[in-house]
Amino acid sequence: MEPNHPITRRQSLKRIARISASLAGAALGVCPLLSQSSVRAATTGKRFLIEGIGSEKGYKVNELTGKVFEAAGGMGQFVSKGDVVVIKPNISWARRPELAATTNPEVLEAVIELCFDAGAKNVRIADHTIHDARRCFALTGAGIVAKRTGADLVFPRSSMMKRMKLHGHRLDVWPVFVPFVEADKVINLPIAKVHGLSTLTLGIKNWIGAVGGRRSALHQDIHQSIVDLARFFNPTVTLIDATRIMITNGPSGGSPSDVAVKNTLILSNDQVAADAKAAGLFDHDPGKIGFIRLGQKWGLGTYDSQKLIQQRVIL
Amino acid sequence: MKAKHLVWIRRICQAFFLGLFLFLLVESRLPEDAYLQYSLVFSSDPDLRLSQPITFFFQLDPLIWLSSLLSGHRLIHGFWWALGLLLVTLFLGRIFCGFICPLGTIHHIVSWAKPALKGDLMTRANQKTAGHRIKYFLLIMLLVGAVMGLNLAGLIDPISLLFRSLALAILPAIGVGLKELFDVMAASDIKALNYLSYGGEALVSPVFGYGYPAYKTAWFIGLIFLVILFLNRIRPRFWCRILCPLGALLGIFSRFSILGLEKNHTKCTDCKLCSGSCQGAASPMPGQTWENAECMLCFNCFDACPEGALSFRFRWSPKSNTRPDMGRRAVLGGMVAGISLPLLAKLDGSAHHVSDPRLIRPPGALPENDFLRVCQRCGLCMKACPTNVVNPTLAEAGMAGLWTPHLIMTRGYCEYTCTLCGSVCPTGAIREISVREKIERPIKIGAAYVDRGRCLPWSGNGPCIVCQELCPTSPKAIYLRKAVVPGPGHAPMPVDVPYVDLKRCNGCGICENKCPVRGRPAIRVIAAGESRSLKNQILLTDSVS
Repeated sequence: MEPNHPITRRQSLKRIARISASLAGAALGVCPLLSQSSVRAATTGKRFLIEGIGSEKGYKVNELTGKVFEAAGGMGQFVSKGDVVVIKPNISWARRPELAATTNPEVLEAVIELCFDAGAKNVRIADHTIHDARRCFALTGAGIVAKRTGADLVFPRSSMMKRMKLHGHRLDVWPVFVPFVEADKVINLPIAKVHGLSTLTLGIKNWIGAVGGRRSALHQDIHQSIVDLARFFNPTVTLIDATRIMITNGPSGGSPSDVAVKNTLILSNDQVAADAKAAGLFDHDPGKIGFIRLGQKWGLGTYDSQKLIQQRVIL
Repeated sequence: MKAKHLVWIRRICQAFFLGLFLFLLVESRLPEDAYLQYSLVFSSDPDLRLSQPITFFFQLDPLIWLSSLLSGHRLIHGFWWALGLLLVTLFLGRIFCGFICPLGTIHHIVSWAKPALKGDLMTRANQKTAGHRIKYFLLIMLLVGAVMGLNLAGLIDPISLLFRSLALAILPAIGVGLKELFDVMAASDIKALNYLSYGGEALVSPVFGYGYPAYKTAWFIGLIFLVILFLNRIRPRFWCRILCPLGALLGIFSRFSILGLEKNHTKCTDCKLCSGSCQGAASPMPGQTWENAECMLCFNCFDACPEGALSFRFRWSPKSNTRPDMGRRAVLGGMVAGISLPLLAKLDGSAHHVSDPRLIRPPGALPENDFLRVCQRCGLCMKACPTNVVNPTLAEAGMAGLWTPHLIMTRGYCEYTCTLCGSVCPTGAIREISVREKIERPIKIGAAYVDRGRCLPWSGNGPCIVCQELCPTSPKAIYLRKAVVPGPGHAPMPVDVPYVDLKRCNGCGICENKCPVRGRPAIRVIAAGESRSLKNQILLTDSVS
């Protein structure tokens, strides 16, 4: 099987030049963001939690994605004209999408298209992968999605990991993947999986893929570490991909029998609420999961469903 | 045809083949945009492959073909290119050396850019010497050794040597140098410098390698290459004249060449310009006997002669050429060396006893003895490996296995769904395998074991389980058990402790690579349990492949 080469070298060089130039242009006016506890302003407005379920056979994932955002008032609520949007999918493993180790490329594609429709100037896909980034881009489908939508796929280079002050309770200074701090809007797009140490890996845990450094050491205090990261990155909105979820052998999986099809998407501007809702899919009590409890404790959000505007979309 | 035209045709050919070689060498890695078709993403287990592997140059090399055939009794894929080249050589002489060989072209450029000697000294340096017989000695040693089961051809085969030197030493050295520069720029607080660094790195890394490519003993490989280049200061194309075993092989095959140098004694004014410009010290001067086995067909003598005393002609009447001057001592010495080296090579014990635990071969590698018989140590698998885990050996495989590939898990790890190294191997020392075969059979390259004294949970130093998280098999070969261990100050500490299920472990080494204990990790992989070996097994199983 030959890899397809839809992008020529010349095109990719041009694209690189364009990214560099636009980054440079965008940055000239922005002062360094080195010492903020969060890279974006706190979420304003009401906290909401929307659950989208594709109950029909053969429902379209991109339609469901669109409906879920519609229920929240449309992508225009989150993305303004001219914004640079950075999406953080989980594409850490060089596995095919069917194995549910990585974010469903159909959801990724739908979100990117919604961003462009809302007037985003630029959409970037960024993840500091565990496996080799080139193989992850190819096998997870993120590469072809980027090509089809015109989004930029940011190659995680070590020089793009910049030490910054996180002001966390556990992590003070840590190397951060630069595109996230330079974005106007950040969308967290994790997949829901089980995890040997943190019980589940959902939205909050996804931020490990947005930092560099000695990431394997974060596991020594995983719950507080990822809550610190989530507080720092503070996404505009979180969409948890639970179209397929990994119910055993996580987070790497590797067999179709590790996967359960749930046809569900969870959208929230509250990181804790989104994760708590997704924990329900695994029949877990959110209050018993360390990072969800800590997230509420440090004011990241709430898993008390009474405090949220809840909606359900069924397709 | 005029001499000038011939020389220019040669230069164009040399530039083309050197350019092609360098291009394919740079392309011997996964590109950033190796995107699969959307439909392929969803099909099961796609195999990522290079679109333009450099294997053509290896297939063209008769020494690689012959040594693999004699030693491993294997016909390498695409060997008819080499066969074709030998046929062409039979009739046209060492046209490969003069027109195609990228290493020869590099020597040619170095010799030309900075001539070793001037005037009369150069003429004298270009006389044939007994040193020219060394290459025949080396060739005979390699071929006899190959028959005896020791294949060292790749160590000094020009294509293998050039690929190894450039891919493992020269390019990474430049790449790491540039990367460090970009790192300094990226760390700066000046935004413009940051973006210059990102852009620069995006341009440079596809050529020189991603991240900080590093190869064990690369400094030594690079040093040897520089020394070989430096030898051009002593004699032009020193390597080609005196050392190159492929040149010797082609010299022998040029015996019946119909393209010959015609000398016109009456026109010669004895100016010796032809000798001064001769790249091969092939005695082009009228009055000397032209050595067609030494001639690399550069056509310099033809071009240099002001009197028109020299010309290259096709001689249709079978006129016997001079025999290659091998020398009896070189032939006998080569045979003795070729017989004794394979015997000596077995004395380190690796052939009949248990091999070094660090000798973890790439997935799909042949059983050790067969592997050593065909591996050319070209470094293509090492260059292609996306995680930089495949490295040249120093002593792990014995001296007979110098610079053959082995995996160093602290440098990288073998990615579970990656089968790239076998797909590029020019001789099949690493079989081409599919992802499905690698996972389902499974192909094991070793086995992991936990070093409990270092392991954070086992030693009471806190929770961790990174190894279990990253273990790629399903179900995981590394599993957790709840345990209460004595923590600091004897306080009981409840933790999850990792165990390895040897039946499931394929030795990929991602656990060792990502273990937070650096340097000598708390979980390590050894070669024991590798499925290519019948001897090197741990468990009692009946399904050893």
